[in-house]
Amino acid sequence: MLTEAGPKGLVVVAASAHAKMQSISPGLSFTDARARVPSLIADEHDSAADARALRQLADWLVRYSPLVALDGADGLMLEITGCDHLHGGEAEMAARLHAKLTEEGITNHIGIASTPGAASALARASSEPWTVLLDDETRSGLANLPVVTLRLTAETVTLLRRFGLTRIGQLYGIDRTALARRFASREVAEAVCLRLDQALGQRAEPLAPLRPAPDYSARLQCPEPIGTVEALEEGLKRLAQDLCRGLTNLGQGARHFCFSAFRADGTVSRAEISAARAVRDPKHVQRLFAERIMLIDPGFGIDLLLLEARRTAAMESNAVALSGDLAAQDMDDVAVAALADRITAKLGEGSVTLRVAKESYLPERAECETEFEGIWPRPTERSPALHGPRPLRLFDPPERVEALAEVPDGPPVRFVWRRVQRRIARADGPERIAPEWWHHTGPPPAASSPEGTDRRWLVPKMDPRADAGIIAKARARLEGKEECMPGSERVKSLPRARDYYRVEDVDGRRYWLFRDGLYEDGRGNPPEWYIHGVFA
Amino acid sequence: MDLSNVHSAAALLPRTDVPSRVPGFPFGLGASGVHELAEGSFGDMPALTGLALAASHALRPGPIIWISQRGLAREHGLLQQRQLEAFHGRERPCLFVRPCKLVDTLWAIEEAIRSSAVTAVIAEIDEADFTASRRLTLAASRHGVPLTLLMPHTREGSTAATARWRVSPLPSAVNRFDPRAPGRPRWRAVLERSRNVPYLAGHIFDLEHDHETLSLNLVSRMATRPAAPRPASGEQTQKWQRTG
Repeated sequence: MLTEAGPKGLVVVAASAHAKMQSISPGLSFTDARARVPSLIADEHDSAADARALRQLADWLVRYSPLVALDGADGLMLEITGCDHLHGGEAEMAARLHAKLTEEGITNHIGIASTPGAASALARASSEPWTVLLDDETRSGLANLPVVTLRLTAETVTLLRRFGLTRIGQLYGIDRTALARRFASREVAEAVCLRLDQALGQRAEPLAPLRPAPDYSARLQCPEPIGTVEALEEGLKRLAQDLCRGLTNLGQGARHFCFSAFRADGTVSRAEISAARAVRDPKHVQRLFAERIMLIDPGFGIDLLLLEARRTAAMESNAVALSGDLAAQDMDDVAVAALADRITAKLGEGSVTLRVAKESYLPERAECETEFEGIWPRPTERSPALHGPRPLRLFDPPERVEALAEVPDGPPVRFVWRRVQRRIARADGPERIAPEWWHHTGPPPAASSPEGTDRRWLVPKMDPRADAGIIAKARARLEGKEECMPGSERVKSLPRARDYYRVEDVDGRRYWLFRDGLYEDGRGNPPEWYIHGVFA
Repeated sequence: MDLSNVHSAAALLPRTDVPSRVPGFPFGLGASGVHELAEGSFGDMPALTGLALAASHALRPGPIIWISQRGLAREHGLLQQRQLEAFHGRERPCLFVRPCKLVDTLWAIEEAIRSSAVTAVIAEIDEADFTASRRLTLAASRHGVPLTLLMPHTREGSTAATARWRVSPLPSAVNRFDPRAPGRPRWRAVLERSRNVPYLAGHIFDLEHDHETLSLNLVSRMATRPAAPRPASGEQTQKWQRTG
């Protein structure tokens, strides 16, 4: 028996079959249960572990159907349309699944019906290990089941019982409006009608599968459970050939592959890889998995291998160039993508990047780093450089330096960067780069509303919850605790114009320094110096 | 002109024992084999980057791959794609990879060379022992992909690479338009070791990069910097005012 801390002490949440025979049922308080059966063995309920185990079982059930969804905290829903004939029909499939699960030591009840609601009700109410309801029998088959099985809340069920409605069949004949009138709220009445309609198939109930169904898959049943890496590699080779042949016939390629190994003990081990562009070359797929296949733990043996292809896209077949020298293009996109895939497979997602030019005057925003997706950015019409020299390497964010300048608006004479003093021999500049005001919202009227006072004068946030802390602080300040000078803290975050200088020190090192702001520009403290990049 | 540190007038003249033109220069740097560029002293990485890019501008069109250990990228700054293309004078796609560990970095370099998908590999790494450099050299020679390694000033000891250069920046050339501004970048590259031209080991090359012709010129070494053009005296030019 398992217990859980309820609002009034410990409550029984689950009881074994033996305990149930002694009239101990879930919902009973622990003290009552202990009074009924003094020799009770109780343990604490670990719901997180339960959820994990259910998730694991759901993963394993993918071998029966690709669409597996959770059904409450103790049930799983499988969409077996088109899958049952592979297992000898619905009844045969249910029998096999039941036998397999019982063998694993999992108590189970199986219901097969034409709607998720009906199947769920059958599995929970029926005393048989498995029940199959044919399509035209749904209405009559459900009639005798208790209303509890309709997946309603406990209060609703209690209310229905007070009306004397305990069987689903009793709800069929009742006028909907009459039924709705008896409930205190419309939502509850709606819920009853919705669940009833869903069970009878009058309203659609889409499943939310735990893993989206793959676009294509290939499976390999092992006659004997395998446990070696060599066997896994051989299995992967066959599956990759099989899957890629299928993809080729359909003119498709996939960017994501998932290799699942179903262990004989009812668990699954998975390895996934993704490619920068659609691929369907079995050798390439195999090579990408080469690093990951070690992560698959064979456990006590693997009896089914499954290779799934996701994110498929149309892919035209190209004749392979004879050699690099004879290739018409200078760039072999496929080879580059294959290289990027191999590095990504080893080092993790997003490890291969490229830098894309952006429309921005600010040097740190003029280029951004994006993941390499198999395509190069379109060669843009290069506009003539309207700006001064740009450094070869940029520091992002800029690093603070201690600088000493002769005149307020001149280049520094010397500066300290990374604890080394550098004397400047030659300098060029300034190049003024003004802040991009269109990225910043206007300053809010001071203290007009708590929501607006302390908003950073930056890109507005879309989520009001994110500002909760700021709003609370602003409220506190509005309520009389206004001590700091209005605005003194705020103007600090105002973006300031920068004056960039290209300087060279006596050793010949060339830097790109900027002064953040001007003296007496009314935007806070005296300006500070930063180093933003280095020249070759 | 600052003459305080000049001891004799002879030091002012160009040195005649150094040929201004060395046949075969830069001996395959950035074009074939494995070349190590090591910092002359701490903080010379910009010069290394510039030299590596300037030397590889004549490669056939195609992408290059830039592999750098993650910590180093932060320390030395992010390479700008636009500047890379400016150094090469053409569209030059570049892939960036930043592995965390040295082992992964070496693996990525070797993988990039062996794939033959890229025109050149440029890598920033902390160190590479003899075995690693031998491995990379073999791969580079077999697949014909040039590799340039940018290494810190602590780089010493034996290597299997084609050559090792020690690079440090020099005061830039005179800017013809503004004597107070930096001009074309100049670097000093010392050929420490070389398998192709062993007789030139220890030779000092002073280089100047021309961003217009993209050429890497050898400049004659002088004891001190050449005479800077001086602004003409006031009588010869019209008086001009600051406008901005």
